[in-house]
Amino acid sequence: MKNAMTLVHALCEPGSIRSFDGAGWTNLISMARAESLIGTLAHQLKDLDVPADVRSVLDDEIDAHDMVKQKALWEAECARRALSSYDGKVVLMKGTAYVAAGLTAGMGRNIGDLDIMVARNDLKSVEDMLLEAGWEWVKPDPYDDQYYREHMHELPPLIHRERDSMIDVHHTTLPLTANPTPDAQGMLDDAVMLENGLYIMSPEDMLCHCAAHLMADGDLAGGLRNLWDMHCLLTEFSRQDPGIWEKLDSRAEHHQLGQAVRRSVWHAYDLYATDIPPLWQSGESVTSAFRRRLLARDGYGRETRKLTRQAFYIRSHWLRMPPLMLTKHLWTKWRKGGAGPS
Amino acid sequence: MSQQFKAANSEDIILHLLDMMTLVFHRPSGLTHIVADPVPAILEVMQDGASTPSQITAALEKNFDLEEGADVENVVLARLDEMYALGLIERVSE
Amino acid sequence: MGRTYQTSLRVGPATFRIASEWQQPIAQLSSLYENYPKPKGEFADFTVRLESKSFWRKYFRPTVHISGDFWLPDASPLPLSQGLLAAEMGMNLQMALGWRRHLLLHASTVEKDGKALLMTGLSGSGKSTLSAMLGEKGWRFMGDEFALICPQTGMAHSFPRLISLKNEAIAAMERNTPGDRFGPLLEDTPKGSIRHLVPLWESLEASNQPAKPALLIFPRFGYDKAVREIGKSEIFVRLTQASTNYVALGEAGFKALTSFVDNVSARAIDYQSGDEAEELIDQLWAELV
Repeated sequence: MKNAMTLVHALCEPGSIRSFDGAGWTNLISMARAESLIGTLAHQLKDLDVPADVRSVLDDEIDAHDMVKQKALWEAECARRALSSYDGKVVLMKGTAYVAAGLTAGMGRNIGDLDIMVARNDLKSVEDMLLEAGWEWVKPDPYDDQYYREHMHELPPLIHRERDSMIDVHHTTLPLTANPTPDAQGMLDDAVMLENGLYIMSPEDMLCHCAAHLMADGDLAGGLRNLWDMHCLLTEFSRQDPGIWEKLDSRAEHHQLGQAVRRSVWHAYDLYATDIPPLWQSGESVTSAFRRRLLARDGYGRETRKLTRQAFYIRSHWLRMPPLMLTKHLWTKWRKGGAGPS
Repeated sequence: MSQQFKAANSEDIILHLLDMMTLVFHRPSGLTHIVADPVPAILEVMQDGASTPSQITAALEKNFDLEEGADVENVVLARLDEMYALGLIERVSE
Repeated sequence: MGRTYQTSLRVGPATFRIASEWQQPIAQLSSLYENYPKPKGEFADFTVRLESKSFWRKYFRPTVHISGDFWLPDASPLPLSQGLLAAEMGMNLQMALGWRRHLLLHASTVEKDGKALLMTGLSGSGKSTLSAMLGEKGWRFMGDEFALICPQTGMAHSFPRLISLKNEAIAAMERNTPGDRFGPLLEDTPKGSIRHLVPLWESLEASNQPAKPALLIFPRFGYDKAVREIGKSEIFVRLTQASTNYVALGEAGFKALTSFVDNVSARAIDYQSGDEAEELIDQLWAELV
């Protein structure tokens, strides 16, 4: 198994892999884990008749990613509570937005930190509310801090002192040093409210953001996963609204992301056979290099082309035990006759 | 008007008593908390409708046979702060 | 990418594919795991990878990086002479981070009459050595690293990987155990000297038979002989700290662990020698109803 094309096929056409032997399955699972697409794969193969030992692994991964989703939604809820007195929009981004909105892109997706976007002028008050609610700076170094504020599209990350979970507060979607300067205020203006009062981006903006990520993350690590997001969003949004393509085109131009969006759409079509209109199907010149990099993964889950690796890993603090938050004050003489619920 | 609180839904919580302490498994977060009295009692009276610190205090004094001279209201306020930090209760805006 | 050596192993319910850039660790594993039940097919739950960081470090003062389906960014590499240890650590890591079919307790386990004795504690508590010792004295060795508790049944399942003897325990076990059951002596590892011991064949053969957890012991080595009771809250907290996947299992983990704590007797014991520990364990075991 020389590259990740097997994984791509398995995701798009689950039926195509019925003939796998044990080694073939082991390769596929390893590759999907390395690309952070194992939860997605498990969902895609849910109804497929597979060997029992493979089924056990896939079921475990579905379970594991249900927990990921639950945790992501809980983190969003914690942010909502912390920011309940903030009157601006709090826009969920990336994976958390997908699961909060029930989009197929969120099915089995791995979700790390919570990413939210707020208006740039409100950063300070949002930051204060989060600090008040138990988040703390990860990097107290003043130089780093200044760098983040001046050059990045987010606050320095905050980590919750009890739950050990991270939040990234963005005020735009790309680093300020990057060339395209998307219209962040426009994204906030068009954001769509969810039932719980949090927001997600409009379909066009969500696609623009996803494409910006795919193209701006220089080393393209995790590219297959990001491209799968693109594929799912395009498929789902165009099914709901066949007019999405014109809107996407003009919105992308508006955000100076025309090229990023066109390339992302084309690659989704190229690899995942996304159903796109003929006008978007004209190929691009750098395809082969880009495609090779996306697919650089062998059957042992190793990168066959050694690039900077930013693949998903389990943070070591996941091994630490954060769950028992002891309310420390024992008031044992609370009730006569000892403790315990009545 | 004092601050109102809302407890997590009872179906979102599993209580399990171990000797002196009570485990609280909170389904939405997947977190386990280990709490001492009177936290389970507070959750119980909140499920029955008490929402402000003084209502909670009154309900505890009515339903439970408390130690003489216990400063119930202050204990309740301190526990509510902790329960809020754990996500077991929410602040409700007017 | 050069040649990749590989082998597939089964330990208890889990199967592993070990892929290595070097032949030596694979050859050592194949020989030490020779009598283990073989995986049923070619499929493996987890892949462990032993890699070099760069091409030249494959040959020049080679160091082994532990990687695989699940990995830690800050794991230290080991010299090639400790490749066997790297493989074992890689397998433990897959279990700790990836296994969801059981609640994993960092505990050693032995069985008698269908009932399981679990021992848990920090490294240095002697849990691994005690399980190795009891495994040679009529108990069935079930594992020195992880006890696997089934969330549905509460039963303890065996994970009888190679017993990892450390420092003084090596000589103590070498005195009464045939030499052909030992792996190579690994010196100057991050945990001192390590020598792996293959469990008795009877343990391996019965590795798919679960046992009902009956007694949990928190051993402490180097203190005057004593037995103490522990409250259930403390047991619960200590077991969550001893579990690698309690949080990951969510509600299933909560239910499995509360039921374990409610149903299994637990004691802390202090001891100065293996004989003392054995005496205390026999006594506590006899007191079980």
